Amino acid sequence: MRLRTILACCACLGVAFATSAADSDSAANDVSTPVAVEATAVEAAPTEAAPAMQAEAAFEFLQNYCIDCHQGEEAEAGLDFDAYTTAADVGGAIEAWNRVADRVQEGQMPPEHSEIPPNPTRKAFVTWIRQTIHAAVCDDGVSPGRPMLRRLNRTEYANTVRDLLGIHINAGHALPDDGAGGEGFDNAAETLFISPIYAEKYLAAARSALGHALKDPGARGKIIVATPDDKRSPQQAARAVLEKFLPRAFRRPLRDGEIDEYLVLFDSAYAADPSYESAVQFALEASMVSPKFVFLWEEPNPTDQPVPVTQHELASRLSYFLWASMPDSELLRLADQGKLADEAVLAEQIKRMLRSDVDRNGLRRGAKVRGFATSFVEQWLGTRALGREFKPDASVSRRYDSELEGGMKYEPIFFFEDLLADNRSLLNLIDSDFTYVNRRLADHYRVKGEFREQPKKVDLPKDSHRGGLLGMSAVLAVSSFPHRTSPVLRGKWILDTLLGTPPPPPPPNVPELEESAATDQPASLRERLEIHRADPTCASCHSMMDPLGFGLENYDVLGRWRTEVDEIPIDASGELPGGIEFVGPEQLKALLMERKQQFIRNLTSKVLGFALARGLTNDDDCVVEAIGEKLAQDDYKAQTLVREIVHSIPFRYKQGRDASIGLELVTTPHR
Amino acid sequence: MNINASKRTVFLDDDSNRRLPLSRRTLLRGVGAALALPWLEAMMPTGAVAAEALAAESDGARPNDSPLRMAALFVPNGVRQDMWTPTGEGREFELSPSLEPLAAVKDQLLVLSNLWNQASNVGDGHYVKTSGFLTCTTINKSLGIDLNCNGRSMDQVAADYSGAFTPLSSLELGIDPVTTGVDTNVGYTRVYGSHIAWSGPTSPLARELNPRLVFDRLFHAANPKQGNQKRDSMLLDRVLGDANELKRRLGAADRQRMDEYLQSVRSIEQRLQKQNDGSINRWQPLVQLDVKQRPPEERPDQYVQQVRLMLDMIALAFQTDTTRVCTFMFGNAVSGRNFSFLDGVTGGHHDTSHHQNNEDKLRQYQLINRWHVEQYAYLLGKLRDMKERDGTVLDNSMILYGSGLRDGNSHSPHNLPILLGGSGGGRIATGQHLSFGKDTPLANLYVAMLQAFGSDKKSFADSTDVLPGVLV
Repeated sequence: MRLRTILACCACLGVAFATSAADSDSAANDVSTPVAVEATAVEAAPTEAAPAMQAEAAFEFLQNYCIDCHQGEEAEAGLDFDAYTTAADVGGAIEAWNRVADRVQEGQMPPEHSEIPPNPTRKAFVTWIRQTIHAAVCDDGVSPGRPMLRRLNRTEYANTVRDLLGIHINAGHALPDDGAGGEGFDNAAETLFISPIYAEKYLAAARSALGHALKDPGARGKIIVATPDDKRSPQQAARAVLEKFLPRAFRRPLRDGEIDEYLVLFDSAYAADPSYESAVQFALEASMVSPKFVFLWEEPNPTDQPVPVTQHELASRLSYFLWASMPDSELLRLADQGKLADEAVLAEQIKRMLRSDVDRNGLRRGAKVRGFATSFVEQWLGTRALGREFKPDASVSRRYDSELEGGMKYEPIFFFEDLLADNRSLLNLIDSDFTYVNRRLADHYRVKGEFREQPKKVDLPKDSHRGGLLGMSAVLAVSSFPHRTSPVLRGKWILDTLLGTPPPPPPPNVPELEESAATDQPASLRERLEIHRADPTCASCHSMMDPLGFGLENYDVLGRWRTEVDEIPIDASGELPGGIEFVGPEQLKALLMERKQQFIRNLTSKVLGFALARGLTNDDDCVVEAIGEKLAQDDYKAQTLVREIVHSIPFRYKQGRDASIGLELVTTPHR
Repeated sequence: MNINASKRTVFLDDDSNRRLPLSRRTLLRGVGAALALPWLEAMMPTGAVAAEALAAESDGARPNDSPLRMAALFVPNGVRQDMWTPTGEGREFELSPSLEPLAAVKDQLLVLSNLWNQASNVGDGHYVKTSGFLTCTTINKSLGIDLNCNGRSMDQVAADYSGAFTPLSSLELGIDPVTTGVDTNVGYTRVYGSHIAWSGPTSPLARELNPRLVFDRLFHAANPKQGNQKRDSMLLDRVLGDANELKRRLGAADRQRMDEYLQSVRSIEQRLQKQNDGSINRWQPLVQLDVKQRPPEERPDQYVQQVRLMLDMIALAFQTDTTRVCTFMFGNAVSGRNFSFLDGVTGGHHDTSHHQNNEDKLRQYQLINRWHVEQYAYLLGKLRDMKERDGTVLDNSMILYGSGLRDGNSHSPHNLPILLGGSGGGRIATGQHLSFGKDTPLANLYVAMLQAFGSDKKSFADSTDVLPGVLV
């Protein structure tokens, strides 16, 4: 648990849906020059937050509402508030206090049937915790992470081989698949393990891919750039090939003698069997099994202070962030010339890397940014599970086929790619007037138009019940059971995926909330959930999860719109803690829009975690906070998010030996 | 055999390695899997034991014995309790409804009651009980950083003893890809729920999910391309040189990753030696694989078919002696696999396991349990039908079957559903239902299995004893 949701200070969803007008007075900082984010900026931050209470009042709050259960050795959850008497105590136990803030903010604590603080008090208490933590972490600068050391994941390996050899084959298909760590992505350094099987797989994959490439006339010419002739000995020709290939394979200039090490392989192979091509291929194979190829490896920083990553390291950080692949020749050339870190050059490169052109038929074709969109979106939303962990039951999916599944899977991916390429507002993810559908999905949504197998942009009519992530069938499916919808899972999905406030697990020995017995009686599902919520232990979370999920009950397992189940009309109304009532997805989306800052902060931390390919730290959360503010000033533009991340300290620097030394947080000039 | 040679390889792993690649390999010849990196020593305390075992076999200690094999099959989500435990104990017992499919191999079966995994009685309902199933340790609560199972899995301890004899030290197989994402609800990465085999505290072993690729690995092990060995060794030496170069420049904290890669590259090198050595250590398959057995499709759509093919691959791997240790996961922790392909089942596995004593759900739950047992019975039957010189492959195997929790509704690791099939070369007293005192450590069974496997281990993880009545 980290500094997540700093200042995201509504009490419960619904309780404090402050008006979005607060966002407009966000530009309290003069942003024409880089601005150090100081503690004072916190108060000026655009949030749904209430002003903080004083420390004294906060400790009084604990005495009034918490201490009965959280005191002494027998304290609930092992949380003894007697141990905390100063702000410094709180700043010294960030994890515990983040949890306190989350629980109080979401109305899970104090529990129902105990004394409940008035909402303004609750909010002010939470704000105080967040600010206290923020000051403790961010005031002395931000420390970047360690130099990167991780292997390419399966997707990156396949993309990299594709770009290195210039052939369209999936060289990674026989590699083991990767798990996820950190912010939930499979590029996280901490979970990219190496098992004994890997070297064997890399060797086989390199052989097979090179074999294909050298049989392909186009690809071959770009790899075998020299052959022996009257003027060139076989060794000289092989050297020319390696001089071209190795810097691309290793994504950096070569050090002295590095070519010779590979030339030795050529020589030996050629001596045993004087076939030039076979001997060259052999040396290339070795380079593709080398850790210099299969690992993203950054030069260690031997000083105490953070230092900028090198030009070539920056090129790789950019390309694996935005393409999930190796840097192309332009990025490598700029790095060779030492120009890549130049602000204007970098800004131009980011734009170029995010480009995705639309052809005459209105289709987006093979943009490299799809590598980012796919990996990020599938894992953030959990829609990668579609067709894997999640397969709909035959009873709800008579017309489910691969084209529909493809349309469902790619809708959020193309949508996100569109936001990036066309620099639209990220708030479109909450609600939008367009989406992407293919033929089968258009049919599924009853959207009119000419569509084929590939998803295409479509403007949505007012009554379409689509727009934003919550109208996308992939999202609605992976938050369902195979044979029926689950308001609980969908509510949990919103809290976890969109707002970044996952509910805690059910208390031990309490069976998972069900629902289940009512499988065949949809009418009683709501009643059963209400009975369940009568238990205060369950109610603290379910009083929020369940109504959110019921708001989406008009969508079936596969996200089709429905108005009744078994002739019983759908009741999509919900009442959130604090008495906020709403009906159906449109009003639910409006409620989420009122919490846009929290949504943006969560999205920012996800994208930052993906970009850095590791789990985030408290220091990183200072960056997330600053970027969230920047986005609010810039209409939540998607490219602003990418640009700010690329310019951020953790993206541009690597830690020295002293991990505690930080750099002052700056954001880029406002454009 | 000079055991000291294995110790010298440790020394040679540093800079001198690059200057002496040939002499290093010369040293390695005949040492088998005994080479150990410094960091691996802690994880492989018995590296030298493997070398001794190899020496013993080379000296003809067990010339006429067929090899001993060990597999562990993991099932997620527990079982329906009242349909699992047999009635009667000892040799006089009757199979329960869920165990009925094992009737034909009852004499080769041990049913074990009242074992528990204390170390997994914390944390969450599934992840600790999956990653800890074969380690009997408590895993760190982690989304990735500080991921640690705090032990090694029992199969890998066994592989320390057998790995030297076979091209593949062990095989890790599964059906489901590693489950996507991290579980923010309980605070664990789903990596934990997708692995039961751990070669070290921070090294879950990647699984092969594609039966055809498994077959290809077995086939290539038995049929190495002639003449490539020298070239391959040269290539691997270059790769090892690069890995060592990077490793030297890394901080201590990051060296382990590079060590893992070094170890990975070396495992190919070792295999080449086993396949091509002119010495007595040269490995040859006990039975030739027939290419006709190659699975026709890479990833069949049907779960049933996938499971069967994977079990077939285990049988082939054991029959040919390509490996002697294997783990297989029917599904990942919390698997919600839709079992409606079974008559009478309508729901997902995990959802159904939360039966809340609802009659209909319990009925479906049991059907799913029984289906899994049928697959286990299929593997045991298949191994029994594979004759070898002193009986059948099943006679010379120990096939563990179990789940990390008892009842899916309560997630309890008490009285785990545990079966052991095959008589382990006559070392296991099969044909019994053994019921132990309440909360007898599961690790006690693992000690017994390791001893039957030829290890001199007296303890494993939180074991207190060798499980009585298991060994003949």
